[in-house]
Amino acid sequence: MTTTHAHAKVSPDAYLPMMGKVVEVREMTARENYFRLELPRPLGHRPGQFVMVSVLGIGEAPISISNGPTTTNTLELVIRRAGRLTQVLSELKPGDLMGIRGPFGSGFDMSWFDGKEILIVAGGLGLVPLRSLIQPLVANADKYPSITLLSGCRNPAEELYREEVREWSKHPKLRVIRLVDGTENMPWDGEVGLVTAPIPKLDIKPDRTIAVLCGPPVMYKFVIIGLNQKNLPHDRIFVDLERRMKCGVGKCGHCQINDVYCCQDGPVFRFSEIEHLPEALL
Amino acid sequence: MSEFLTTVSSAVAWIKGLAGRHELFFPLKHGSANYSFQPAGPSADIQFEKYRPTIVPPVKKMLPARDTLFTFVKSPSGEPTVTPTLDTAPRILAGVRPCDLKGIHLMDTIFENGVADAYYAARRANTAVIAYACPKPCDDRAFCHAVDSLDHRAGADVILTPLKGDDMLVEALTDKGREMLAGVDFPKCADAAARKVGAVAARPEPFGRALGAKVSALPAVIKKQWKSDLWDKHTERCFSCGSCNLVCPTCYCFDVQDDLNLDTTSGHRTRTWDACMLPEFAAVAGGHNFRPNAAARQRHRVKRKFEYLTERFHEGAFCTGCGRCGRQCTAGIDILDIVKDLASAEVES
Repeated sequence: MTTTHAHAKVSPDAYLPMMGKVVEVREMTARENYFRLELPRPLGHRPGQFVMVSVLGIGEAPISISNGPTTTNTLELVIRRAGRLTQVLSELKPGDLMGIRGPFGSGFDMSWFDGKEILIVAGGLGLVPLRSLIQPLVANADKYPSITLLSGCRNPAEELYREEVREWSKHPKLRVIRLVDGTENMPWDGEVGLVTAPIPKLDIKPDRTIAVLCGPPVMYKFVIIGLNQKNLPHDRIFVDLERRMKCGVGKCGHCQINDVYCCQDGPVFRFSEIEHLPEALL
Repeated sequence: MSEFLTTVSSAVAWIKGLAGRHELFFPLKHGSANYSFQPAGPSADIQFEKYRPTIVPPVKKMLPARDTLFTFVKSPSGEPTVTPTLDTAPRILAGVRPCDLKGIHLMDTIFENGVADAYYAARRANTAVIAYACPKPCDDRAFCHAVDSLDHRAGADVILTPLKGDDMLVEALTDKGREMLAGVDFPKCADAAARKVGAVAARPEPFGRALGAKVSALPAVIKKQWKSDLWDKHTERCFSCGSCNLVCPTCYCFDVQDDLNLDTTSGHRTRTWDACMLPEFAAVAGGHNFRPNAAARQRHRVKRKFEYLTERFHEGAFCTGCGRCGRQCTAGIDILDIVKDLASAEVES
């Protein structure tokens, strides 16, 4: 029989991983490791995109890209030990290989931020993907009247990118407020409180401010309540959501939030795009 | 001119001839009461009279329960060679009923959209479909007519329509269909359109179960029912077993898993059927589950079939009315009952 179907020759490339070589591993906290990889080619990603990371024979999971856009072959990831695959990933050493597919998802368009006062709210692991945005913002800081980062975590031992966040706070354009829910009797040089606590005191201009949120599911609602009190329009609030994607190309169904696909329509959304979706946030 | 008029027995003989030369699947008896699409040889029991929907729809031949995406072998230095495994074996699916034909068409739509799926496409391009237009409902659970799939034709290469007496109209819709009919001396049919009208007129009325609403009105109806207590009502008996998903011609969600061979240097990555009714389907790594209870999952399933995918792809309902989910449900939960209740609740409010 002849084959006459329109898509007889479709490439399976979207499902085939390229091999990234681990060149640096750093223990960031008791649960999180930082990895720097060299890929066979530049990833060509936008801030806020993600990759599917695998160890062949063990499994695959969606992981946020943590470095800003680059023309080099570098990929940076921070991976929390949460299950079987991430346990194996956490044991990788320089020279070992990770399977990488992607980049996937919408990500941030840097032109959204031009001339805006920027508020970034990161809760826990939320700082990991947001670093891919903060890096290009810092690199082009003269484009933005102000950049404020609220970075919260549970306790001092769980703080991510410790040195880098302190470097950012020295930048004249950047205001960084670091918070922990509680010090748990550890030394701490930041503030104590929930990541929402500083919002009432911030100078948020409804016509000029743009807010970006990423954190655990429970965080969004409370940050948005705070931003509502500042009358920030919902199409100027960006949320970076998490789902457990299996494919990255809108087929596997796992990342569906009502009728949108987190892996393609997101994971970065304007809050106005998803506020009517009951399954988007808690 | 690709319309022919022949007899049922000649059409069966033609299919048996194809079965002798190609890998051909046909709904054959499976146990005492069921049917399944099985490889049929020239001596198989090819007939159209006795039939109820196969346990698993024929579209799953393109989406097998375990589909190997690639194999890999690691060299001594750990560098892997990754080899995609595309199934391009030619096959014929014969005796495909309209509900299942629509299921195939809808999966064509899904897997050709956006990043086209090479694994589906490889099988689909090498699959020929011989459809059969049902003259009567296959059993008391069918509601194909209510969801507009009884007269579905897209996706078929040949359509067989039983006519009065022992006549059978044979239409080739594609080159692949004409190729399968090449060298067969069926008489040409000059009045196929009129005969098809006659075949429709001869169908029993009502044909299968009714919905009590226009299927095109459902997206708007269901949109308003987010907080309805009907979701709870229709999941009181639900075991969250996922059977309804597994037998559905328009369920295509999958999980992906890796397997390592015993040599620990080679293995494969496989996608396997998954089910949005299973409790962990919408859980994320931090442990949060976005659809923690059966009612939320049932709502998601129904909205996918009658609202989400309908609005995204403009191909009508993504439920083909085959009745399989209700037939296979341990607790006897039937999607038509749910949708009927939603539609009548709309009228009451």
